[in-house]
Amino acid sequence: MPIEINNAAQARLAKGVRLQNDSATGKSVLLFPEGIVELNETAHEILTRCDGRTLSEIVRGLAEEYDSNVAALAADVRETIADLHQRKLIELT
Amino acid sequence: MPATTFDMTVPRPYALLAELTYRCPLHCPYCSNPTHARNGGELTTDEWKRVVREAASLGVLQIGFSGGEPLVRHDLAELIRAAREASLYTNLITSGIGLDDDRVRTLRDAGLDSVQLSFQSDEAEIADEIAGARAHQRKLDVAAKVRAAGIPLSLNFVIHRRNIDRLANMIELAERLGAERVELANVQFYGWAFLNRAALLPTREQVDRAREIATAAKARLAGRIDIFYVLPDYYEARPKPCLNGWGERYLTVNPIGDVLPCPTASSAIPDLHFENVRGHALDWIWRESESFNRFRGTEWMPEPCRSCPQKEIDFGGCRCQAALLTGSAANADPVCTLSPNRRIVDAVLYNLNSSSDHPPDWTYRVSPKAIH
Repeated sequence: MPIEINNAAQARLAKGVRLQNDSATGKSVLLFPEGIVELNETAHEILTRCDGRTLSEIVRGLAEEYDSNVAALAADVRETIADLHQRKLIELT
Repeated sequence: MPATTFDMTVPRPYALLAELTYRCPLHCPYCSNPTHARNGGELTTDEWKRVVREAASLGVLQIGFSGGEPLVRHDLAELIRAAREASLYTNLITSGIGLDDDRVRTLRDAGLDSVQLSFQSDEAEIADEIAGARAHQRKLDVAAKVRAAGIPLSLNFVIHRRNIDRLANMIELAERLGAERVELANVQFYGWAFLNRAALLPTREQVDRAREIATAAKARLAGRIDIFYVLPDYYEARPKPCLNGWGERYLTVNPIGDVLPCPTASSAIPDLHFENVRGHALDWIWRESESFNRFRGTEWMPEPCRSCPQKEIDFGGCRCQAALLTGSAANADPVCTLSPNRRIVDAVLYNLNSSSDHPPDWTYRVSPKAIH
């Protein structure tokens, strides 16, 4: 079920979810009860910004830092956050 | 193979199950702990801290503190702190007995990430009968305390003949208590549960109804509560992908420091020698020991697994179940209908489902005998 996410929605890691570095691979992982998700670089960059920032703020921050196309980035951010929200790893308020 | 060979093909473990003790205030007849566990010789606090550090450097990211009842160890908070210092995600798997307000706060402040609280049913009369102790009301109180402390809460139910008809009520209880996650695990037959199989195995009718209830609840609660339904494997046609393969992702350290690929292996497979953390580094045990390599990968498999297209999917099922039911841990899990030993499982199911007798009484789990 696709969920419409408002640009003004604030994203945070859900309760009990931790973002940390996996020293065995150097990659970033999300840890939660009985689960581990390995993140690619894009997802890592998005999740380090899920600290209460809104979707637009996350997109703007990434666009400035990586000097990239806002429309393409916005789609990536939306897709990643929607996926993790559905898996209850990100909270939106 | 010379001991200096560094085998790059050896996988890395992701999760450690730390069975701190076999002591437990409850007497659940479905317990998977060994029936002949002895009390005494438990690892010390410093030994556990070393195990935790060694596990983290092997690649472990998650630790489950379990037992027995891990709360009977007075050093639990110290061990949680050590696990957090090693960047592990910390889960407490508990009956809740012994968890008062102070202790919840102490464990939270030590860095406890999540609590998995066991329940025997949804209401006191049946639950306390199964636990062999007056525990249900205390568990309800503990659930509230865990929630109030802001720690994510999972409820764990073991489902069997005596409580399976209350599955819908158990799911309702989880909703009422505000759990984030529910594990509805059909009983698996190891340890005390194997001993009590005739009393615990549900009928086919019960299993079919429970499956419908679990499937419907999963859909209804999607996005609110994660429901994990562990299948009643005797009633399945293919075995469970036990541990995602032997020595692939998980390791268990039991109360006396034996390192096991699976928590039930030491009692189910008595002819396999398991190494102890007092004698070897965890890294060596994981990579080099005979016990971890015996069933690693697919090379060890006899037929019908060897030529089976499912072999990378279910890894031949459960080694412990093969050992308990067929006498050899190397056989295909007899739950598989391709196994020549499936008739052993079928006979058990036939005897149960063709009889209208009441199930026999069960034997309550007793705490380990002290060594004098």
